[in-house]
Amino acid sequence: MNLGLLKLQLLHHGIRAGKDLPSPLTNPFGLVHLVLPEKLPVSVHLNQNGKESPFTLTREGDGFFLEISGGDRLPVRWTPPLKSYQKKTFSGLMVSDILTVHGDFIAVHPSHACRFGQAGLSCRYCGSSKELSQHPPFTPRDLVEAIKIVLEEKRCDVVALSSGRVDSEDGGVERLSKWVTEVRKHLNVLISLDLVPPATDEWIDQTYAIGVDALYYDTDFFNPNDEPKKDSVKHKARQLEALAYAAKIFPTGAVLSHLVVGLEPLEDTKTSIDLLIDRGVVPVLAYFPPYNGSQIQGRWTADPEKVQELYAHLYERLVKTRITPHWVQQYDVVLTPLEGRFFSAQPPRYHLKLKNFYETGLGRTLRFGLASLRRHLRVREVPAK
Amino acid sequence: MKVKIDTRPLIVVLMSRWWRFPVYVLLGYLLYHFHGMTPPEGLSVQGFRALVVFLTCLVLWVTHLLPLPVTGLFALIAPPLMGVMKAKEAFSFFGSEPVFFIMGVFILATALLKSGLSTRLALHLMKSGSKSPKRLVLQIMFASALLSFIMSEHAVAAMMFPLLIVITKRLDFIPHGGSYGRILFLAMAWGCVIGGIGTMLGGARVPLAIGLLQEAGNGTITFIQWTVAMFPIVIVLFIFCYFLLTRFYRIDVDSVAEADSAIDEQIRDCGRPLLEEKFLALLIVGSIFCWMFFGATLGMATISILAVVLLFMFRVVSWEHLQEHMEWGVILMYGGAIAISSILNSTGAGLWLTQKYVLPHLSSPWALIVVLSLLTILLTEAMSNSAVVAIFIPIGMSVAKQFGLDPKVVVFAVASASGLAYALPMSTPSVAIAYSSGYLKMKEVIPPAIVMAAVSWITLMLTARFWWPILGIRI
Repeated sequence: MNLGLLKLQLLHHGIRAGKDLPSPLTNPFGLVHLVLPEKLPVSVHLNQNGKESPFTLTREGDGFFLEISGGDRLPVRWTPPLKSYQKKTFSGLMVSDILTVHGDFIAVHPSHACRFGQAGLSCRYCGSSKELSQHPPFTPRDLVEAIKIVLEEKRCDVVALSSGRVDSEDGGVERLSKWVTEVRKHLNVLISLDLVPPATDEWIDQTYAIGVDALYYDTDFFNPNDEPKKDSVKHKARQLEALAYAAKIFPTGAVLSHLVVGLEPLEDTKTSIDLLIDRGVVPVLAYFPPYNGSQIQGRWTADPEKVQELYAHLYERLVKTRITPHWVQQYDVVLTPLEGRFFSAQPPRYHLKLKNFYETGLGRTLRFGLASLRRHLRVREVPAK
Repeated sequence: MKVKIDTRPLIVVLMSRWWRFPVYVLLGYLLYHFHGMTPPEGLSVQGFRALVVFLTCLVLWVTHLLPLPVTGLFALIAPPLMGVMKAKEAFSFFGSEPVFFIMGVFILATALLKSGLSTRLALHLMKSGSKSPKRLVLQIMFASALLSFIMSEHAVAAMMFPLLIVITKRLDFIPHGGSYGRILFLAMAWGCVIGGIGTMLGGARVPLAIGLLQEAGNGTITFIQWTVAMFPIVIVLFIFCYFLLTRFYRIDVDSVAEADSAIDEQIRDCGRPLLEEKFLALLIVGSIFCWMFFGATLGMATISILAVVLLFMFRVVSWEHLQEHMEWGVILMYGGAIAISSILNSTGAGLWLTQKYVLPHLSSPWALIVVLSLLTILLTEAMSNSAVVAIFIPIGMSVAKQFGLDPKVVVFAVASASGLAYALPMSTPSVAIAYSSGYLKMKEVIPPAIVMAAVSWITLMLTARFWWPILGIRI
């Protein structure tokens, strides 16, 4: 069984719940956390799109199994939802109102809707939606406390923040800098930001200098006209320019960009992959089947079987160019570039071993230390002109 | 401040940022290695180790591996660590009189700047300079030199700089746009340099040199003695500098009439003299009078610290302002320099070094003065003038004693020569400030600066030959 394809199918169809499963089965956002063989994490919606899913989660004693229509049965590991979600910060906010944990990534809920949320769509990635304003506002102190609560229960390495959709020249870095500073001050974690490309490269320098370890500028589409909220061609050019510059500033593999799969011809997505990799950027394919009743449901045409070639292409290009793709956040809801190996005959060089090493205590310490050392060496203060 | 990301290969960045650490480790190893070594014949163990500490400080001063004040502190802790003497003895050298004299003088200079009195004086000295371009050059030089008699030259340059910017803007000059702007900024910088050697107040190097003299038990030099000894040098260099600047560079403006209105506006902005300014003026005049006539009996430091006490009694300056603007690091640097020099002297290391390596190459006391002053003028272009004083004075005094020469002569020669730097931004703060205007290019400054340095050395030698003997300073 191709585990990569299975993950895509799970993301596409969701699962049904069998009998005698523990309660609560899902996290507060309706996701069931599973770990497939080969330590492949996946977070799956229950009864996706209200359709019948070919996958059913069952339990036998202490073991969990994924039963597939047709008779196949696969042992999986079920991860109980974090108890931390139900805890409260000093100001009385629920941790689940502030963040979501994806594997060892902590995704902080954005205070402003992303481009999908602003376009009236629900974003599976950052949780941004039209209803976002219903989230109670929280302070940097709340955030730090919420992260501390999570870290007491579970090891997490990266805190990911998102600026949401902004039109300012800085691309949202100023809005997030106080959060970054506060997290950096109190916690020993790596920080990843999801921003809009800024107008000038100075803001990219600034982003690295304030303590950001990885950066996302999302490309989404090869053809700007395909975007839910259309951007100009000029904007797209600046986006690629900013990504190329950021790839020179940040460590190898720490500049990433999402590409939305299924809303434009796959050949266009493939061209986007090449464009990004040529600039030293890691493309992350966002395979998010639209919710039922979504505006884009009719346009989306990406069955798991059709997109395999895309993942294989991405994986092979990355291995060839020696870019290390270890910064993919929320890897339980996407198929990461490295997981594209399931669709390719080409073995990973050192990438998989390095990823496994970074998950050990020594690897984690080394990764954190090297990130700090690199920033210490590379960032210089110069007098303003 | 803004940030810049260094995108060079990481190994290159690492080397450029951390190259100091291997050097520190090497220096540490060398100190450890020499600590266990048998001293050369004729030198005690303590003397040998003191020499090692001195050479280490020399490396640190010359290379700026550590900030100068930190090297000063290292000079205090290294002797007890190396077993040269007990910590109590080493630290006691820091409490010498010149250190407190320097502190008092710097506090007075800070108060002068803060009160606006120095600016007012400078503006009045430059007033009416608009009668001709040459006259404006002369008055800027005069104001800079005269103020450097009563406060440290770098403070004068820092105070004069914004005034010159206003004048050059009013005259519609632009950096690199013509040679007259260059002349004005050089007039300021070189005026400060020349005026700075006129009294003991022009910089901390003279008090430092006298401190080294006192700590070695070689007597002292009074305020009047120094000023009188330097008087001909200042006059000759001032006149020569004026002619050099106005002849070497082309004066490419016909009129500087607008400068007067700029100066008048600045004077008007200063308002009427406040009571604090009047009191400060009185205090400075009184202090100079006391240094001249009671310096030997009361002690130079006593007078300067008394002036500081009076400054605070009459609330001319606040402690908070002083903390912010005073260069406290200078005190540490000088304290350390005096300590290491004294240790070199008390352990006999200085004497051994000069007998072994310096004396055989010098045929007469004159050769000593010629070589020392020339080396000082050359090195002070690239090094801190105080570091040059800290290096050459202890050695020079030891050699002088061997020749039966009064060590004061060495102090006169080295301390004055150490202030005569004209060419490079790292030579003195006043030249660096002039460069920061954007009007100076190094290749245009170096030729006349070489001429100035040569004439300065010749003038110093002629003064030593013909003027100092009249004052009883014989070589």
